[in-house]
Amino acid sequence: MNHRPFEDWLLADEPLNAQQTHELQAHLQACRDCAALAEVNLALKSVRAASPADGFSARFQVRLEAQKKVLRLRNVTGFSLLALSAVSTLVWLSWPLLTAAFESPVSLLASWLSALVAFWASLQAMGQVSTLLLRVFPDLIPAYVWLAILLAGGGWSVVWVFSLIKITKKQQGV
Amino acid sequence: MTDELAWIVQAQHGNSEAFTQLVEAYQTPVYNLCYRMLGEAELAEDAAQETFLKAYQNLTRYDRERSFATWLLSIAAHHCIDKLRRRRFISVSIDEDEEGQTDLPDRSAPDPELETQRKQERDRLQTLLQSLDPLDRAAVVMRYWQDCSEAEIARSLKLTIPAVKSRLHRARKALAELWKDEPARIRTQRRPYESPAF
Repeated sequence: MNHRPFEDWLLADEPLNAQQTHELQAHLQACRDCAALAEVNLALKSVRAASPADGFSARFQVRLEAQKKVLRLRNVTGFSLLALSAVSTLVWLSWPLLTAAFESPVSLLASWLSALVAFWASLQAMGQVSTLLLRVFPDLIPAYVWLAILLAGGGWSVVWVFSLIKITKKQQGV
Repeated sequence: MTDELAWIVQAQHGNSEAFTQLVEAYQTPVYNLCYRMLGEAELAEDAAQETFLKAYQNLTRYDRERSFATWLLSIAAHHCIDKLRRRRFISVSIDEDEEGQTDLPDRSAPDPELETQRKQERDRLQTLLQSLDPLDRAAVVMRYWQDCSEAEIARSLKLTIPAVKSRLHRARKALAELWKDEPARIRTQRRPYESPAF
């Protein structure tokens, strides 16, 4: 007797007609492989779902609260460490400045004032140059280039905003 | 809006009470999948709890167009597969199974002897399941215990439908081989073709 169709019937696990059932029964008496497959099919069909012990959802709530607590603690610790390292870095970077301020505050103030005046002067110069460029450039660059620049800028902004939303999407329980 | 969808929406807005309703509704299928995958009640409890925690944390990413049950089972299956891959080997004790589980013979059944035989076969099947590849095991559990379609299994386990079919065939053939080779200590006299369920 050909083994192949019987194994295929058992693997397909679909209803058989009376003739097929009769042929299969005859085959199963002679074929250990197919008999084992039929027994496995039967066992799989008679399976029952295992249930958890009573109070599963109550235990889940306890676990959820514990996890929320751990996450909150982790967030607070992380933020504190970040703030501490930021303050330490700031103090370390400004240490020469702080030393100078304590040693001769007048000369430090004078150097700051002169830097401020220089900065103001360079801002004014940059303003004049940009006004000149704004007068000259629009005539030099064609309209379609301006359109392309605007479209590229708009598209870039959309991608940027979308990425920010995706990255900052918050998980629950955090 | 169905109750389930209402609970999901509320839970997505941070209502943990609504999520607890979902836990109540799905604790058995999730626990059963974990138990069939991991083979021990204690590990299954832990894995099922972890599954619900992961689901709660990622609830905002849940697509309401998908079946919530399939989404949960997918999380549970992947969690168990990860655990199994880390552990590589699990030993299952039938004694432990009998003590820790509610899968006991139904004494009130019309034929207690047949029910006892079926119970022995279920235990035997549970033992044999542990020898399957984790992904094949997940596919078998979802198909036969959770009654998932091949398409749902494919989506949950990130496989194609032909791959699911092939894995189910391969798994059942492997189970049959083991079933055949298993010592006759549990084997019953009844042949499958003599069963009224056949």
